[in-house]
Amino acid sequence: MTMTHPGLPELWLWFALVVMALAVLWVLVRSPGKSATQGFVNVERIPLLGQLAKLFSASPWPLLILKFISVALFLTVIAAGLFGTPIPERNLATTLTWTVWWAGLIITVFFLGSAWCAVCPWDTIASWLVKHRLWRRADASSSLGLKVPKAWRNVWPALAMFVGLTWLELGVGVTTNPYATALLSLVMIVMATIYMAVFEGKAFCKHVCPVGRTVGFYAQLSMVELRPRQQQTCTDCTTMECYHGTEEIEPCPTHLVMGTLTQSTYCTSCSACTMSCPHDNVGWRLRSPAVEAIQHARPHWDEAWFMLGLLGLTTFHGITMMGFWEQGLSRFGQMIGDSGQLIWSFSVGMVLVFFAPVLLYSLLIKLTQWLMPIEVDFKQLFSKLAFISLPLAFVYHIAHNLNHLIRESRGFTDVLLNPLGRDALPLSSNELHMRHMNPLISEQLLYGLQAGLMIFGFWLALQILQKRSMETLSGQMSWRSHYLLPGIVFIISVTGFNLWLLVQPMIMRM
Amino acid sequence: MRLTKTKTVWVILLLWFGIVAAQAHHVLGRPSYSLGEDSNTPPSLQVETQIGDFYVTYMAFPAFPKPNEQGRVNLYASRIDNGLPFDGKVTFKVRDDSWFANEVETLGVQDIDEVVYRQGFIFKDEGDYIITAEFESGGEPYTIDFPLRIGEPLAVGPIGITVAILVFVLLAVNILQRKRRFGLKAKRAREENNS
Repeated sequence: MTMTHPGLPELWLWFALVVMALAVLWVLVRSPGKSATQGFVNVERIPLLGQLAKLFSASPWPLLILKFISVALFLTVIAAGLFGTPIPERNLATTLTWTVWWAGLIITVFFLGSAWCAVCPWDTIASWLVKHRLWRRADASSSLGLKVPKAWRNVWPALAMFVGLTWLELGVGVTTNPYATALLSLVMIVMATIYMAVFEGKAFCKHVCPVGRTVGFYAQLSMVELRPRQQQTCTDCTTMECYHGTEEIEPCPTHLVMGTLTQSTYCTSCSACTMSCPHDNVGWRLRSPAVEAIQHARPHWDEAWFMLGLLGLTTFHGITMMGFWEQGLSRFGQMIGDSGQLIWSFSVGMVLVFFAPVLLYSLLIKLTQWLMPIEVDFKQLFSKLAFISLPLAFVYHIAHNLNHLIRESRGFTDVLLNPLGRDALPLSSNELHMRHMNPLISEQLLYGLQAGLMIFGFWLALQILQKRSMETLSGQMSWRSHYLLPGIVFIISVTGFNLWLLVQPMIMRM
Repeated sequence: MRLTKTKTVWVILLLWFGIVAAQAHHVLGRPSYSLGEDSNTPPSLQVETQIGDFYVTYMAFPAFPKPNEQGRVNLYASRIDNGLPFDGKVTFKVRDDSWFANEVETLGVQDIDEVVYRQGFIFKDEGDYIITAEFESGGEPYTIDFPLRIGEPLAVGPIGITVAILVFVLLAVNILQRKRRFGLKAKRAREENNS
């Protein structure tokens, strides 16, 4: 039986639309400032949080304990998937992986940046297997340590993996199949181990892992960052232990130099730099969530595609949970003679939704290029302004995931107590109804959060558009607001469509 | 003969539609588990699928049958265009879903009974099976495959394959590194001898 979650009430929709209209007016009318807010607060100065941060920076053990917990849970997921009940809502493999972890992970990025990567179980298992060390620096001969071929030193593999993961998740239905979820987990271990055994550092995390890259890009919008406490100390440093490591501590696994670090995309929060720095100059700090995407992050062609891909695929997630999608798929399936799970029809739909925002974006970039008073290279402008898609994808991703997390994770404690779902029966209509009627937080709060998030993402995207467009002119010409119009059309179109999706009733996953 | 880009795209599209058309009317359904509205009903394994001109619902009772336990398959097929049930004969077959088994056994041929086709079964041995329902409509054959697990699942396969790959990779790296080290030592020794 299919049940649907109610969509965002129209009152919230109108509220969001009015605020967005005011935001557009504000951006068009006011003269843009020079730079985004640079203020930050060292986490170590905040009571409790500061002590916690110090604990993790000073010793490898707290992080190691978290890694043990994460690996134990991951192995339980594999065991539950392979040996447990095939009923998805009663098996830890499907409930923990798709309803709790995958839905909750994106929300944690806002508060904790790429902290997940520090305790990622497949990377941890791969490290233990290849390096034979729990945390200390491994013998150089434990891995072949080859350099990643130049053609692979980008995020195209991660984008392909993310597309593949989405196809498996929504098309093949891995999310409701504990056995397939366990197989996917095993594949991740194998891939991470092969990469670690063959290439230097954490090439898998940097170039291939779809989760790591998604977390990495979204971390640009996080409210925390790992940075030098005193920039001058890094400038004066000649030994660069953060980059080279020490006898005991590994070098930065993604080859970042703390003194020149301006974006968190490739930081895995592994704490190697905090532990290796002889000047104790690396620490966590709170910042404005906009500052990195607005001005610090450097534009790259492959990264621009990844960000647009994130946007297309998050919207696609929402679309596949709408009633009209299933009807449309069925009709299209009949038209082309597709049967069964309608995999071919699904794949065509996925390609269309993936490329729709890219196509719209490309057209509007072309228009912006034409409006600009100076000659700007298309590829350069495409890469530079693609950052506007990041907050749009991030906020919709969270707003959509909140629905899963808050409305579908009831009963998770029962699954934790019986992870393999031994002798458990499928959810009855009554249980399903009760879950549906008792979300973890009040519905009004959920709606408020969703509407607030959409407004926040919209506002961030406008800020990014304005600052990055201005930067393109780099003071050569006087500023005109109409240069922004194509970008604003893109932001309004994407946010409008995503808001419309949120208003629709959403099909419950399990 | 070289094809232009446009022609290549058309060839790929035609091939793709050809493959899709050839695949039509033969599906492997994805099972889901449901509990009947009446709480006395045992949980059933259910597949809802679309094939050609029909929507097909396939149900197996019980959802997790054990060896030597009586079970039943119910099949509902209704036309997509007008919702009318298919009225003909349906043949149910079964085969072992392992790599090297291709022996097919016919379970029975059933007529419609109040819009449902019912087929009973008893399996002696544990294992993964594929139950197939076949019927003909409008001169076209329809085949629906339906996976059914009897008894507890075996999970040694995926773990075994994973462990084998990991051991192979780690051993290969170890051997290569030993060779590298040996080569370096030999090179150093040669250099020392030369100097």
